[in-house]
Amino acid sequence: MDTLLGKGREAVDLIVDPESFAQDKVGATTFGDPTFGPGAVVGEAKLDGELVTVIASDAEAFNEKFPVVYSGIIGMEEGYKMAQAVYATLAADADKRLADKRAIVLIVDTPGNGPGKVEEIFGMNKATGAYQLALAEARLAGHPIVAMVIGRAISGAFLCHGLQADRILSLDAKFQTMIHVMPITSVSRIIKKDIETLEELAKSNPVFAAGPSFFHQLGGVEELVSEIPAMRAAIIKHVDEIRRAKAAGLDVVGPRGRGKLGVERGGRKVRPHVLERLNAEFAAVQARFRPQAN
Amino acid sequence: MPNWNKIQTSSFFESNARERALGLVDEGSFVELVGPIDRFCSPHLITLGEAVEFDDGIVTGVGRIGERPVFVISQEGRFIGGSVGEVSGAKMVGTIDQAIDFYDALIAEFPRLPASQRPIVAISFETGGVRLHEANAGLLAHAEVMDAIQRARHKVPIVSLIGSRIGCFGGMGFVAASTDAIIMSEFGRLGLTGPEVIEQEMGKDEFDSSNRALVYRTTGGRHKYVMGDCNFLVDDTVAAFRAQLTELTELTIEEFEPMRRIGSEALVEKQLRGVALAVEIAPTDSRDVWRYAGNNDPVGLADGPLADFRKTVQRLVL
Repeated sequence: MDTLLGKGREAVDLIVDPESFAQDKVGATTFGDPTFGPGAVVGEAKLDGELVTVIASDAEAFNEKFPVVYSGIIGMEEGYKMAQAVYATLAADADKRLADKRAIVLIVDTPGNGPGKVEEIFGMNKATGAYQLALAEARLAGHPIVAMVIGRAISGAFLCHGLQADRILSLDAKFQTMIHVMPITSVSRIIKKDIETLEELAKSNPVFAAGPSFFHQLGGVEELVSEIPAMRAAIIKHVDEIRRAKAAGLDVVGPRGRGKLGVERGGRKVRPHVLERLNAEFAAVQARFRPQAN
Repeated sequence: MPNWNKIQTSSFFESNARERALGLVDEGSFVELVGPIDRFCSPHLITLGEAVEFDDGIVTGVGRIGERPVFVISQEGRFIGGSVGEVSGAKMVGTIDQAIDFYDALIAEFPRLPASQRPIVAISFETGGVRLHEANAGLLAHAEVMDAIQRARHKVPIVSLIGSRIGCFGGMGFVAASTDAIIMSEFGRLGLTGPEVIEQEMGKDEFDSSNRALVYRTTGGRHKYVMGDCNFLVDDTVAAFRAQLTELTELTIEEFEPMRRIGSEALVEKQLRGVALAVEIAPTDSRDVWRYAGNNDPVGLADGPLADFRKTVQRLVL
């Protein structure tokens, strides 16, 4: 198998314990209507014997109610359904200790968010926002979240389904994985720089370039996985590492962890200096903004 | 330094980011943080040989409304469409973080501190989202902003103000949707996929981006007000936005909760009623939804004066 592109549903079975995936059930919540958000696959499975929530895109599904949803695109129903799966996970483990909060595994192969008129009339921005807030809440509540990029991880859809994870893993580019906002050809057209210049610059600066290895250099992907059968062990390893980090109260996972990782790998070098300066400048004036009469 | 009184009477739509930042808070109270003097501009634009701005197209700082510290983030659409890159993204995240840290410190010291003295964040959006010149860095910054917004939940209210030329689109469209309250003018626009992109992806039959009236009907302030996607629809002056923000500074974080659109399981259920309604009435134009909400003359309502609109419009109940 040289690619998992478009095979999100199959990837689930390659990762979780054999025969353990129970689709359309998360905690006490069941997703009974097969016509509701068919592009989103949600369910529970065992991973190395532990219960996990799985959320994936199904590239073969087509949402008849929203024709912009096909090929793994996340539409309004899909975004909210994915959010519901996260809230169901939070509810199921609400009373559990930090160490026992189940992990959430995101299988990422999505080319975009639903781009349509009805979507804009009703507010597609809310669906993708709702899913991100739910994932951020679950992450901050202690659930380890690992995103595994198996195909396309594009722009707003990747922000929605992937970038709120504690850790992001990606299959190597030889499996046709794609991570970008826009292909470099489109970037070149829009910012009016020729492709050769951009490709040359990309060698020394990964912020322009498309592809998992550039994201890895930027700290945007924690680990590149070089073989399909190795995904399972990599996810298990990262869930364990995230649990340890959270138990120790370390703020080294999630979007900010990737900020720190970027510095280590030579990407986004200015970011930490901006944050430090902001901190220092506010510290110098904060007395002015303290309560006056207390 | 621009004249504060003059800024108040200015059009919010026409105002630049710094004028908005200064004008939204009390006169003379604004302190810019990581301003042009610090010269943090995008290293990636320099690499590309592009022009830079010493504030990277975003003004961040802190001021006051009454006794309440207001952390302000104000985007500048005149600089590469208000796009978000490594530096501007970090300034955004850092400002929200400062508000949260300041809140935590004040509450530790004064557990009974009244709402009117607790930090609040105001974001004046004017952006198409990720800056393509540094797209990967912009994407990662967006994820950090969402994380910061979730960290502020139940502590520091975040208010969005949308009424500038570029509107609020792309990844910043869902950032705005995730805040506690949204103030718009009728000239503000809010969405995820911009009109040109929809036309490019789906064809002119789906969306004619050159039709300005259609664009405003779909993403403009009046429509977002009908949909409940913005909470307040104000006149196009800095003073009007400031007055609404000032009213909100009197509220506790709990009082912001009912204004939210998303951010809880119950709100997802509510939005799903909207999605079911989209299937039921299959609108080809926002007017169809206005009519469903109880507005018999959506054309007249859209074209009439804003004051009349606010008085007579029926908003969608989900």
